[in-house]
Amino acid sequence: MTIYSLYIYDRHCACVYYHDWHRAKRPKPANEGGGLYNAVNRGVAPQSSESSVQTTPTFNSPRNTLSLNTGHVVAVGEPTTPLPQQTEHEVSKSNALPFDEEAKLVYGVVISLRNMVKKLSGRDELFTSYRTSAYRLHLLETVSGYKFVMLSDPNTDNLRFVMRQLYNGPFIDYAVRNPLVPMDSREQGIDNDYFRAATDRFIRGLSVFGP
Amino acid sequence: MAIFGLWIINKAGGLVYQRNFAEGLAPLTSNEYLVLAGTLHGIHAITSRISPAAGSSSGAQVIEGETFKMTIMLTATGTKFVLLTSLAETTADVILQKVYEAYSDAVMKNPFHTPEMPIRSEGFETRVTTVIGIGQS
Repeated sequence: MTIYSLYIYDRHCACVYYHDWHRAKRPKPANEGGGLYNAVNRGVAPQSSESSVQTTPTFNSPRNTLSLNTGHVVAVGEPTTPLPQQTEHEVSKSNALPFDEEAKLVYGVVISLRNMVKKLSGRDELFTSYRTSAYRLHLLETVSGYKFVMLSDPNTDNLRFVMRQLYNGPFIDYAVRNPLVPMDSREQGIDNDYFRAATDRFIRGLSVFGP
Repeated sequence: MAIFGLWIINKAGGLVYQRNFAEGLAPLTSNEYLVLAGTLHGIHAITSRISPAAGSSSGAQVIEGETFKMTIMLTATGTKFVLLTSLAETTADVILQKVYEAYSDAVMKNPFHTPEMPIRSEGFETRVTTVIGIGQS
């Protein structure tokens, strides 16, 4: 029983916040020009091509703040050869997607399923979750079009109430009521230290989060 | 406890069989069902790609709405059997297994059936009626 990750999307189909916990494969940093907003998650933000191409970000603080462990600089235009100490990382991440692509895939799946459920039911019925052999995805859509998407262990019960609490608590307190966070700006996410800390505390305190 | 419908989707994403049972979901045209089946086929492929867990993941197995769910069984040959039921239905997997059995017997062993094409077989219809009839009681 565990929770893997949380994505928040705005009504313009863009990811405004991302947070992960027990993920096996970290997403690769997003491509530059992939359309990812600033302030979504420091760890997956596009890395500038001038410094540290392909350096593997390591996350060691519980809040997912990024700290680079290598100072290697690869000149622009040179083929990026994985450095010896990174080979292991690179292999384990070989089929991982860059974050911007992953975020688009998640959004696409969620929207398609939501439309399919609406169409099939013939009334405005909401898509709530799906399950595969490895994980379960839950969706909560707010009236303002924000979508909370949570990935958890396949055996967890529905987590909509958790996302509802996340919305009523940290999201309202540290994003909506925060004058420094531009909501609906179409260029910036809602990530800030307080929101991240409050979300982290809340999720880690849940019984479904596990040890 | 209700079974709303059964779809069979071939390995290319085409809907080869569709039948409604209990009332409860919107009646759609056959064209709309074709589109939905194609969408489901695509989603199924993507869901196995976005797994956050270690190791590989299957595609979506159960998709839930507020009052109904879709149980998807993928066979070794890539054909998908989809059962639309109420949320409380617990026998969906068993029913799909039986439908697969009926499909193997009445469709795949039928020399007049063209693989990957829509299924029009009276024998299969009867077998499905028997299977779902059992599930509904």
